[in-house]
Amino acid sequence: MKATPITLLVCALGGEGGGVLTEWLVEAARLAGFPAQATSIPGVAQRTGATTYYIELFPVLQSQLCGRQPVFSLSPVPGALDALVSSELLETARQIGNGMTSPERTRVLTSSARLLTTQERMQMSDGRRDPAELLKLVRAFSREHQVFDMNAVARECGTVVSAVLLGAIAGSGLFPIERRFYEEAVRGGVPHEKANASAQASLRGFAKAFEIVSQRQTQADFVSQVLKAQAMDSRLRGNDAGADGNDGRATALSVIPAEAGIHGFPPPVREFASLGYVRLADYQGRSYADLYTRRLRQVLDAETAADPQAANGHAITRETARWLALWMAFDDIVRVADLKSRASRHDRVLREVKAGEDDLVKVFDHFKPGVPEFAALLPSSLAQKLVAWDRRRIAAGKEPWAMPLKIGTHTAAGMLALRTLAAMKALRPRGSRFAFEQKMIERWLDGVVQGTKRGWALGHEVAHCGRLIKGYGATNERGKDNLLHVLDHLAVLPETEAATHAIAEARAAALADDAGQALDATLVRHGAPKREPKPQPIRFMRRPVPRESMDERRA
Amino acid sequence: MEVSFSKEIGQLRLKEGEVFHGEGILAITKALLQSGVAYVGGYQGAPVSHLLDVMVQARPYLDELGVHVEACSNEASAAAMLGASIHYPLRGAVTWKSIVGTNVASDALSNLSSPGVKGGALIVVGEDYGEGASVIQERTHAYALKSTMCLLDPRPHLPQMVKMVEHGFRLSEASNMPAILELRIRACHVRGSFVAADNRPPPVSTRQLMEDPAKFDYMRLAHPPVTFRHEKLKSEERIPAARQYIVDNGLNELMPGEHDDLGIIVQGGLYNALIRSLQQCGLANAFGESKIPLLVLNVTYPLVPEQVAQFCAGKRAVLVVEEGQPDYIEQEIAAHLRRRDLQTKLHGKDLLPLGGEYTVEVLSQGLAHFASSYLPGEGPEEAKRWLAGNQQRRQSAAALLDQPLPARPPSFCVGCPERPVFAALKLAQEKMGPVHVAADIGCHAFGTFEPFSMGHSILGYGMSLASRAGVSPMMQRRTLAIMGDGGFWHNGLLTGVQSAVFNGDDAVLLIFKNGYTSATGTQEIISTPAEDAKFGAGDKSQSVVHTNRTIESTLQGLGVKWMRTVHTYHVDEMRRTILDAFTSDFNGLKVIVAEGECQLERQRRIKPWIASLLKKGQRVMRVKYGVDEDVCTGDHACIRLSGCPTLTLKDNPDPLKVDPVATVVDGCVGCGLCGANAHAATLCPSFYRAEVVQNPKWHERLLHSLRGAVMRALQPA
Repeated sequence: MKATPITLLVCALGGEGGGVLTEWLVEAARLAGFPAQATSIPGVAQRTGATTYYIELFPVLQSQLCGRQPVFSLSPVPGALDALVSSELLETARQIGNGMTSPERTRVLTSSARLLTTQERMQMSDGRRDPAELLKLVRAFSREHQVFDMNAVARECGTVVSAVLLGAIAGSGLFPIERRFYEEAVRGGVPHEKANASAQASLRGFAKAFEIVSQRQTQADFVSQVLKAQAMDSRLRGNDAGADGNDGRATALSVIPAEAGIHGFPPPVREFASLGYVRLADYQGRSYADLYTRRLRQVLDAETAADPQAANGHAITRETARWLALWMAFDDIVRVADLKSRASRHDRVLREVKAGEDDLVKVFDHFKPGVPEFAALLPSSLAQKLVAWDRRRIAAGKEPWAMPLKIGTHTAAGMLALRTLAAMKALRPRGSRFAFEQKMIERWLDGVVQGTKRGWALGHEVAHCGRLIKGYGATNERGKDNLLHVLDHLAVLPETEAATHAIAEARAAALADDAGQALDATLVRHGAPKREPKPQPIRFMRRPVPRESMDERRA
Repeated sequence: MEVSFSKEIGQLRLKEGEVFHGEGILAITKALLQSGVAYVGGYQGAPVSHLLDVMVQARPYLDELGVHVEACSNEASAAAMLGASIHYPLRGAVTWKSIVGTNVASDALSNLSSPGVKGGALIVVGEDYGEGASVIQERTHAYALKSTMCLLDPRPHLPQMVKMVEHGFRLSEASNMPAILELRIRACHVRGSFVAADNRPPPVSTRQLMEDPAKFDYMRLAHPPVTFRHEKLKSEERIPAARQYIVDNGLNELMPGEHDDLGIIVQGGLYNALIRSLQQCGLANAFGESKIPLLVLNVTYPLVPEQVAQFCAGKRAVLVVEEGQPDYIEQEIAAHLRRRDLQTKLHGKDLLPLGGEYTVEVLSQGLAHFASSYLPGEGPEEAKRWLAGNQQRRQSAAALLDQPLPARPPSFCVGCPERPVFAALKLAQEKMGPVHVAADIGCHAFGTFEPFSMGHSILGYGMSLASRAGVSPMMQRRTLAIMGDGGFWHNGLLTGVQSAVFNGDDAVLLIFKNGYTSATGTQEIISTPAEDAKFGAGDKSQSVVHTNRTIESTLQGLGVKWMRTVHTYHVDEMRRTILDAFTSDFNGLKVIVAEGECQLERQRRIKPWIASLLKKGQRVMRVKYGVDEDVCTGDHACIRLSGCPTLTLKDNPDPLKVDPVATVVDGCVGCGLCGANAHAATLCPSFYRAEVVQNPKWHERLLHSLRGAVMRALQPA
């Protein structure tokens, strides 16, 4: 007999029901009369780790084997798989990278869903792997492939992804097993009408995936979708100076009065400039928004001088338009209170928590404003006194003063408190932080302009450094310190090219870790000093009693 | 343990002629009952947890048979249980994860092996080796050699595995040696079938009690001078008896092949991989009929020299397929051949790697080499092309990627009560500087992975406190030892706490009191909350581990003076307590009990309760956390303090911003860590807590609609 086993590797994450899936597959094979074997290594998979299941089926009916038993492999053989089925795109790519699939033999059925790994999620910027890169692997190393969002199908059918995987396997026709045997395995031998709710849900997920795979839907759709998402993603990363942004965001432009002068900016800049203008008008009023366009104009002038042909598509001004708008609309408690007390926000929360028609939803917001947040709204002299008081507390070994609040935004009192805080917008320009931020913004802009004068590329790098400014409190201060350090020590390097290169590296390093170790290393490599260490009140906690006296006591 | 094994227990009851379908480890469990086992013990651990779990849940049925089952406090206590077979005609089986469990059990195993057994003693070990292993990569084989125990390594085929259980007992009885049955991970989880036999109630059992103890017999003690006699017995009587039994019953399988002048000797457990490898080389068919003769060692210790010699005699060359290092079997075969002056060429570790799992691909590399040297032909050449193709594909796949793919290690469950402690510890270290963390075995070992990356050493289960004893006297700062309640009861209480208290050590111990040995599958322990506490509580969603104070009272009884109990979700309080422990004037052992019930167990209780409330139309409140996307800074500091799988990223909806924002996806169980961290760490104010009330009471509805009116009046769009 020449037949060889049909081999299938399934990738899943711990807790996705892969164990049940193998049970179903083996049971379906048994019902259909084929010898089959499945194994897994669930040990390390517990709690969302990556895991695999491996199934072999001998495509000759047991009854025709005259009592002979095929010998199956317990582990998948690289390059000898008939199919790879996976509930997660990165895990698919991992197995392909391990050499499991063969472009001559293996059919790949994979979910497009990504469950981001901790490593991807914990980065300070964007650590997510590019799905297009993963998809490239799928295309290059499969005989044929089908890609669809299995998690979405599972959600839609109210089941877990294992049922969808089973449907995909059944629908692919990989095994010579009739559909009814798979369904019987899922029902666990119970007749259709008596199957319980969870089996019914599994059968729905099974049927949907069966249909998708057997009719070969979605693949083309998905690929074009990814490519489209790719284009958008890449624009968000600021990679394509030429994008026109013609997808609804242009409407921002229409509400801006002509005298704001946005139309005076070249088309590549206009999208961000108009978004920025609208945001700042909302943040602090029209005159503040006008300050934005004046500042931007200054950068545009410098760029036009450095690159009169606009060979670089006004990329400096475009980047500045983005980061300047975000910086000028810096986050403070007034802004947060405003954002959190809008009706649109309330609706969004209801959607996110999937509340039913008749459900009541209570929303509590976590705030912990400290001295710096309050000082920000006070004039400089008062603010300094308040900050000094807090420093004395810390020096005395106490915690910095802060007010942990859990505000019920759904209550009248909570909403009133937030709206009152939001109404303090008028006080903002008189506050110490406002003045400080403006000073820092001017320093950065000056860095952009001066850099641009020395060379377009240098100006472009300094403009990109606007990305370092984000967030609240310590995060925000750290960003400003880093930016300042880059301006003071790297932007002034005598050789323009060296300065450009150093800033690019430092910017990437600044986003590598909280503690700034990578940044310090980069700074030192380029001949700049490390950043000043921040004074920290109780750094070393020594053992209170020296060893000798302990011994004495024991003696 | 709230997981129900009712289906598996049904399989245990199968009668003669009925067909069992299921996993390897359950087949072994059934085989124990078919072999008339009288007592069963063990300590849980992948991949053999199921054996004990199922037995423990099947207690009512086992009572009918008269079989005693015990969930032992560690592997040493399980091994010692086999002492019953020294004097009495009782078949006993114990199980654990090896190599770690065998290490713990080894004292008792030595003392058991020396006097030898009368009743069959079988030790079922999960050989946690190769892909998916979670322990040190060492072989159980060494223990069989040093203590003179039989070692069975059955072909991973359910009927064969079942057969070897029965033979294991008989072999043990015939030779007076305890027998180890080793099962690799994939063999434990292989799904297959076998035709069952009736279960045999043991002749002496909990239902057929012995009248009297055995007569005093000094020979049965592991005590000099008889230990000297025991050693002689091992080589003079026991091993020969075992060899005789192995040959008489054909435990090792001889499989002929057309190329009679060659042979392969393989450990039973590797048989399937070898056959696939032979198939890849064109040397076997789908039914495992090999062109090269095979000697399949279902018993890898002791070897039968005559059998090996007979197999090798007259052959040009023999390949030994033996996984892991050192190559005990190959060396022994070499000695046998040399002694008999057989000139058969011996291959093994010269063609195959010394260490690591023998997957089909790894085996094929050596086998293709072996075959092309002795049987040049198209088969091995094709195999070589296939192997080269694999390498090439891996290289081109790597070339398509910018950088290697991120790993996906296991992590704390959604809502795990241990995660907040690591958040608190991270925050505390920002304040007091980094500390030496002696880590341990258990779910909390996931704290060694990102985003926490904490732990300097892991010396064994329950060993953390003991493992810092040499560090803390040498360091200015105090050290921290982390232990789970599982580790505490397994070993930590004695090796760690007792020693630290006795020596007056200045140390900090943090005990995770989650109520179960969770990492091995949430088995119950002595500090597990009682059933009435679990099901009597009005609000079943609350942690109930505080109702069992065995750990606290034990520590008090031992003389621990400084002890604080903190609920793990109070991140701020936990941070303060850690700081207290590290700055306190008290110089003895300081213990922090971090209390919070295992989320898996809680969910198993909560889900049916919520479902029943909803069915009755009663009020139910569910909690979910969320992130305001327009407030989120995109800095992801919250993720670096949590790592919860449901706290993830999505594209920033703000066209001006580039970094993705944090988002809480479905699956959030509303544990509250996001809120506690936001406060303790002063994170950005983007988190909200939503309480969704289903079937609210009428006055709640009224209040809510009044509130709604006020809100609408105040809110801008």
